Amino acid sequence: MSYFLQQVINGLSLGSVYALMSVGYSLVYSIMNFSNFAHGGVIMIGAYIGYFSLTLLNVPFFIAFIISAVGAGFLAVTIERIVYRPLRKRNAPFLYFIISAMGASIFLENIVIASPIGPTFRSYPAIFSTTPIMLGNIALGRIDLLMFIISALSLVGLMYIIEKTKIGLSIRATSYSIKGSTLMGVNVDMVIFIIFMLGGLLAGLAGMLFGMKYTVYPQIGNITTKSFIAAVFGGLGSLPGAVIGSILLGLIETMTSGYFSSQYRDLIAFALLISVLVFKPTGLMGKTTEDKA
Amino acid sequence: MSWGYMSGILILSGINLMTVLGLSLLTGFTGLFSFGHAGFMAIGAYTAATVTMKLNILPESMFWLHFYIALAAGGLVSMIVSLIIGRLTLNLKGDYFCIATLGFGEAIRLVLDNVQYFGGARGLPNIPTQGTTTLTNVIIINVIAITALVLIIRSRHGRNMVAIREEELAAQTIGIDIFKYKLTSLAISAFYAGVAGGLMAHYLGYIQPIMFKMVKSTELTIIVIFGGLGSVSGSVVGTVLLTFLPELLRSFSNWRLVLYGVAVILIMITRPQGLMGGKEFSIKGIIRFIEKRRHKEEVNS
Amino acid sequence: MTHICDKTYNYEFQEGFMRKKFLTLISVLLIFTMIITACANGGTKAKDETIKIGWIGSLTGDQAVWGTCESNTVKMLIEEVNANGGILGKQVEGIYYDTKGDAAEAVNATKRLISQDGVVAIIGPNASGQAISISSVLEQYKVPDIATVATNPKVTVNDDGSVKAYNFRVCFIDPYQGAVAAGYAYDRLGLRNAAVLYDVASDYSQGFTEFFEKTFTEKGGKIVAKEGFKEGDVEFKPQLSKIKDANPDMILMPYYYKEVALSANQARELGIDAVLIGGDGWPSEQLMTMAADAIEGSYVVNHLDFNDPEVKPLQEKYTAKYNLAMELNGYMAHDAFLLLQAAIEDAKSADPVKITESLTKVTVQGVTGTIRISPDDHNPIGKEAAIVKIESADYVFQEKYGLQ
Repeated sequence: MSYFLQQVINGLSLGSVYALMSVGYSLVYSIMNFSNFAHGGVIMIGAYIGYFSLTLLNVPFFIAFIISAVGAGFLAVTIERIVYRPLRKRNAPFLYFIISAMGASIFLENIVIASPIGPTFRSYPAIFSTTPIMLGNIALGRIDLLMFIISALSLVGLMYIIEKTKIGLSIRATSYSIKGSTLMGVNVDMVIFIIFMLGGLLAGLAGMLFGMKYTVYPQIGNITTKSFIAAVFGGLGSLPGAVIGSILLGLIETMTSGYFSSQYRDLIAFALLISVLVFKPTGLMGKTTEDKA
Repeated sequence: MSWGYMSGILILSGINLMTVLGLSLLTGFTGLFSFGHAGFMAIGAYTAATVTMKLNILPESMFWLHFYIALAAGGLVSMIVSLIIGRLTLNLKGDYFCIATLGFGEAIRLVLDNVQYFGGARGLPNIPTQGTTTLTNVIIINVIAITALVLIIRSRHGRNMVAIREEELAAQTIGIDIFKYKLTSLAISAFYAGVAGGLMAHYLGYIQPIMFKMVKSTELTIIVIFGGLGSVSGSVVGTVLLTFLPELLRSFSNWRLVLYGVAVILIMITRPQGLMGGKEFSIKGIIRFIEKRRHKEEVNS
Repeated sequence: MTHICDKTYNYEFQEGFMRKKFLTLISVLLIFTMIITACANGGTKAKDETIKIGWIGSLTGDQAVWGTCESNTVKMLIEEVNANGGILGKQVEGIYYDTKGDAAEAVNATKRLISQDGVVAIIGPNASGQAISISSVLEQYKVPDIATVATNPKVTVNDDGSVKAYNFRVCFIDPYQGAVAAGYAYDRLGLRNAAVLYDVASDYSQGFTEFFEKTFTEKGGKIVAKEGFKEGDVEFKPQLSKIKDANPDMILMPYYYKEVALSANQARELGIDAVLIGGDGWPSEQLMTMAADAIEGSYVVNHLDFNDPEVKPLQEKYTAKYNLAMELNGYMAHDAFLLLQAAIEDAKSADPVKITESLTKVTVQGVTGTIRISPDDHNPIGKEAAIVKIESADYVFQEKYGLQ
């Protein structure tokens, strides 16, 4: 029994890593209707910003958190400005956005590798003790707990902003129709700025927590592929969906590893993704939108 | 540049070109983005290698035929797998399809890593390299491939695919079966990728699943973008250029991918039609180009 | 919303596909000839004045740290040799190419080295995948290659057991490493229940694991758990929890330092206190920085003892010159170069075929031991592994251990 519970904890902790990374991604998708593949790169940069804040600037932990979140937020907004806005203004087909996003993510990963920072991995100075909190025979890592809490808080915070505030109203309006909202007086550019900023903030937090829990290296963006899969699984366009999809994916991966085969884990996760999509093409909680002719 | 060295690069260009042609059809003409074509190359590579090494029924003198059959087998198996994948994922929205191809590419690698019959992660060595992927064969295969592709594109099918890329909803409205054309496009691109994989297997003489990572798929898509979405000559020129250039610029290899990333973004923002501008080489086009210049000069004087 | 007015797509449907296909072909050939004529002046320079030695390896990519160390070491050695009069009285010139960790690139680089630059022999690569891919090129041009740390048996031996005429190496192979680890664990450390965590996508890891399992079970030990992960994974707790449940004495971790650091830390976090054992993928600065506590008391099957007084001079020379720490690959590259130098001198000629013959005749004292290449499999004969124990963030030499 304790083995099972331990695996559940493992699954939830993995899931919360994915969750934090996929919320920012899903947020952008729900408004702009496209997959921001550069999100992974922003997360990675957030991890590095946090690392350098702690080691070079020697700031306390909390400040590093803020610096990396804000830094990543600005990076995300810059990417939007330079890479996506020109395409948006020209009503470019969806394909172009994806290609540009891919270009941006390749650029981010490789500029870090080519720069003096280099491809070697760095480890965060230990802030939290690595001895786990023991619940009986089950180990719960401290950073895992932190990630849980932060994911939950960010989700609640985001939902609050979107559902209960005026800004949130503009965001929701824009997600239905960009043109319509503009006609109603919504400053769409500002809304998009806010979306990307929020997404970037979350990416920065995610990056730093990832770096603390694991390590920092330029290829962190590749891990975010799993969170994209989780967001798709949970339904693109739905924030709770992204979180639930992530937790589920974490649990499924862990249970597959723990009870069936760790070698084929990814294969099974992928097969699951496909089966969900076959039966429910919009994911578990996705919104069904049809393009109007 | 010595011939031995150069022929190697030419062969590599030819191999890359095969997959790029397929991707050109899929992405350039039909507007679908795939992250997983390296997976199709892998399937083709392993199938072709197995056929050459284990299914030898023809006499020695007919080895070249055996090789072609192996390549065709590789392409065919890839195509069949793509049909399954397509059947499951093509009626999903664009983003979903992308993620699905990504997952698929990685899944194929994982399976190959674990199946010991194909050598697992340690790979398949001793694939015959003599008399197989020679420059002659590569050129012949590419010529056939280009011809076939041009035939498809110039036909009604090709125009339908372009219609899907341009405005999917409108295409559907006028009665084009979107699903069928997307599937066809995917199948053909998978076939080409499979043959390319087979060629590569017989060039290196050794294949390992790790040679077919996702980064390979993205690099090939970048070539399609450079050459221009919607242009076959663009793909040809782009492939040759981007296979030779890294060789000539060996000292900057660190920055190569950085430049690619920037270039892709710039191309999408400023000139999405890439190098060839969505057009193809043709005598008429060249004449018209010259006429235009002369006309401009006359007007100016 | 539509693209009617968008100038981007301005098709001109020309009549007749024949013309188009024909012209696409012409353009391909045109480019072809342009490139040939542009580079027509290239030719091999006179080989008589210098002896050219090539090196290939990863100067970019994940293995860049190791590749850089190798090429630096070779450069340093060539400078020394030249200062002492060169080999056979001629100066040595080193040519270094990056394979970017890719097999096709390795083939390209090899072709360039041989047919364009005219090298007489090649040192490197350190990755088995690349070393295997270049064998057909080596055969075609009859130039020998000495791999540094490529441990897959197939680098020098074909499937049917025949040896590859032009592939050599100076390191032991995966089957050996796995067997040594098993032997040491069972016989020396008295461990009986082993768990294995390995990288499914790595040939090194798969090979090591297979031979560890074989030897360990032959001796009477039991493999209580075998879990896999994929390169790039950072979360190992699911697999480690399963391993913990099986209650092993030891965990074999036959992979590279980044994953070792992560998995070792996570294993300790879960409360696993089994002994950890690994191979030559472990030694690295970063491993210590990240996981010194977790790997305290672990054993590593290495090619040599880093703290051996005999290798100190080399370490110091390297660090003084490049301001970097010496990595494992540097030692192997050093020995590969010594071997090559001895072979050239024995052959009394810079002819690649003669050098190849001499490679199996000479014996050199390298920093990793006595090196004598067997003509049967082109691997070094009787090379013992150095078992190293990690104590207080340092590698403490235990003993030299060979297969019993």
